[in-house]
Amino acid sequence: MTTAPLQINLNGFLNELKKKFVVIDCRKNILAPKQYLFPAQETAFNFDIKKSRLKTLPPIKPFILFGLPLRDLEAITRLDEIMSRPNKNYYYFRRRSKTTIIGLTDEQFNIPPGGDLILQKLSPKDFAVMPVTAKGTVLIKKMALARPSKNIPASQYAENKTMPKLRLLLQDAEMLKDAVAWSWKNYPQIWDELAKICLGCGICAYVCPLCHCFSTEDSMDIAGKSCKRCQNWAACTLPEFSRVAGGHNFHKTLKERYYNWFYHKFARSYEEFGEPQCVACGRCQAACPARIDIEKILINITQKYKIANRA
Amino acid sequence: MQNRFSKKLKIAIYDFTDCEGCEVKLVSIKERLVHLADRFNIVNWRLGQEKIKDGPYAAAIIEGTPVTQDEIDLLRELREKSKLIISLGACASIAGIPGIMNKSERKKWYAKIYGANYKPKGIDALPLSAYVKVNHMIHGCPVDEDELVRTLEELLSGKTPRYRRYSVCLECKLAGNQCRLLHKKICFGPITQGGCKAICISGGSPCYGCFGVREEANIPALVKILRRFASEKEINNHVTMFFNQIPEYKNVFKQALKNYKK
Amino acid sequence: MQNIYAPISVKIAKIEEHSPSVKLFRLKRTDGKKFSAQKNGLIFTPGQFVLAGVWGYGEAPFGPASDPLNRNHIDIVVRKIGQTTSALHHMKEGSKITLRGPYGNGYPIENFLGKDIIMITGGCGLPPIAALIEYIINNRAKFGIVHLLYGASTPPDLLMKNRMKFWQKNIQIMLTVDKPICNWEGRTGLISECLLELKINPANTMVAMCGPGPMVNALEHLLNPMGISDKRIFISMERKMQCGVGRCQHCVTGNKYVCADGPVFNLDEIDKNWD
Repeated sequence: MTTAPLQINLNGFLNELKKKFVVIDCRKNILAPKQYLFPAQETAFNFDIKKSRLKTLPPIKPFILFGLPLRDLEAITRLDEIMSRPNKNYYYFRRRSKTTIIGLTDEQFNIPPGGDLILQKLSPKDFAVMPVTAKGTVLIKKMALARPSKNIPASQYAENKTMPKLRLLLQDAEMLKDAVAWSWKNYPQIWDELAKICLGCGICAYVCPLCHCFSTEDSMDIAGKSCKRCQNWAACTLPEFSRVAGGHNFHKTLKERYYNWFYHKFARSYEEFGEPQCVACGRCQAACPARIDIEKILINITQKYKIANRA
Repeated sequence: MQNRFSKKLKIAIYDFTDCEGCEVKLVSIKERLVHLADRFNIVNWRLGQEKIKDGPYAAAIIEGTPVTQDEIDLLRELREKSKLIISLGACASIAGIPGIMNKSERKKWYAKIYGANYKPKGIDALPLSAYVKVNHMIHGCPVDEDELVRTLEELLSGKTPRYRRYSVCLECKLAGNQCRLLHKKICFGPITQGGCKAICISGGSPCYGCFGVREEANIPALVKILRRFASEKEINNHVTMFFNQIPEYKNVFKQALKNYKK
Repeated sequence: MQNIYAPISVKIAKIEEHSPSVKLFRLKRTDGKKFSAQKNGLIFTPGQFVLAGVWGYGEAPFGPASDPLNRNHIDIVVRKIGQTTSALHHMKEGSKITLRGPYGNGYPIENFLGKDIIMITGGCGLPPIAALIEYIINNRAKFGIVHLLYGASTPPDLLMKNRMKFWQKNIQIMLTVDKPICNWEGRTGLISECLLELKINPANTMVAMCGPGPMVNALEHLLNPMGISDKRIFISMERKMQCGVGRCQHCVTGNKYVCADGPVFNLDEIDKNWD
């Protein structure tokens, strides 16, 4: 930032914000902010049987997502890209276009990873305000913020201690892709072991800020007047994920399904988007009831891969 | 499609031994019950009406566990007369709370309470499926209103009612709960079918699995996690709350507890 | 913003019963318009799929079986197997259903021009192959010797018998069944036996397959020794295709989405996939 940042008192700012806008404070959430853009159950179509036509979906009102850490901002930037293929996803961008995202961090960064506005910590109460997009600038004007800021002493920046080693691994995305792809045939022991301890509950997919698989489910209302077609969160560790009508399952075992979760994030995604679908936010690891240390697994796999491929 | 049935489906509702809580849930769906009554021909519902009609029935919805020979005979008769048998709630589906019954000390208590000449009528509390083929189970103790309505709607639309294929964990995360297992508290959420909206966990209780075991649940993995902080006895106490009479308990749970090594 | 999940409304113009569990539905647009052609002039490329649906019952993927040059209608062949297909089977002529697509990649017909073609299919895998046959017959002079090898469990399970008579005048057809019931006078036995009987010029032959996984796997091992490399073998894969556009993740195989990168793949592209 070339210009001196604006400075605010966090609680005062948040209170003012709440007076003027619909604010969702994400700071204490277990689920990633994707839940507000790609909800667990999205009514995609509502069909009126009597009139034989689709009802208009209720409009989305503008809202602010508040308090996203840098990695969540990055995740939403990535999710925007995922949801833009092959065309802009109607449901996602219907919400996204009404969203203003305010990041909150005590870390240092050079280029803002995403969001519309970032609040960077100066002291326990004071934060610098940095607009990232035009939306952010408009918000600053609407909030009538004008106070100049102090210089920010670098010593105050905190370091993100979540999955630091995975963060490093992610920087060599191609190697990570090769290692994960290699491991299925060449290091099956690890997947056999994990299939014994993984509950297959799907939590890792639900809490992930980037997992975006969904199942389409139709239903009718009990009065028999309308039909709904919903897009619901799915999880690739669940047995029905790859099962077709008639019962054949293309991923029969939990071993295949749990591997698919890794394979998608670190291999398929690299082929598709040129980067892994992971921002090392640590949610999957923190929320796994089986305490599977995902960072450790990836380190283990890459080490084995490097040893095996040294010659 | 919605007008596929020229005649209204005749649905019989019966209850065996239980607390009737699931039938109360059926009443508590309020205006949705009016639509149901409108679209189904509901008969023989002791709690809700006086209309007694003989079969055949498109479906018999049965709450509770049969524990006398009369109830078992009636169940078999309903099976003969009904295209579908649908169990309503945990008692009918997996024997539920009545299935906790521990027979080992039964004789002693009979003698003590009823006297030496008492001839017991009661039979073991087993799920309906121990006696007849059950086509679908509406799970829960009690059932969830929305899941109940969904199942009935699927019947009305001519679909084969579906089970929830995800774990309680989805709804638990959506409810914003901290994971009990990570806090060293017993929970069967990961191996249990969803649909309950995780109300027990949200209310501070463990998940006892009243929605039944989810398909392909990794029970040994859960036992491993539970044994890190809970004794075999504690786990057994929780498992037998709802799972005492299901095959997974005898075949998988007990085995996993036995095989557990630190 | 365009919603790619929004289907169009189509009307069932005709229903044909092809076997006890299989019906053919002829679909026309309810707005009276013709189906629009893609860049290649076809309303769908044989092997591409559409998602047909019934509100309240869901959508399911089907490889259309009709002539892709005919813009008046699309034929889908539906086996009653799940919720959506059961709902479709209850539909009557004149009923409205929904349709979206076509999606994915079909058989590479431009690579097939001037070549001898062997089409191999079994059971309910015939429809996309049928569309390919219709296209070939429409452009008969542009192709060499064309074979269809089609197997089914029993004679009543052989689909599209009414079209077969017309096809037989234009291409070589070998039918075979596992169980020769219903006074079947044709061949009995495996489709691989049919394949081994063919006299082919491997250097000029392309293979198009659509059928159950085990059949495809068994045939792979026969085709290579006949001189046909994986690069000349195209197979249509089955997976759970829900969204149709490579987003919902259910149809993944290796690093491919069957719905968007397939469903027709060159064998060389997919035979190294981990799953």
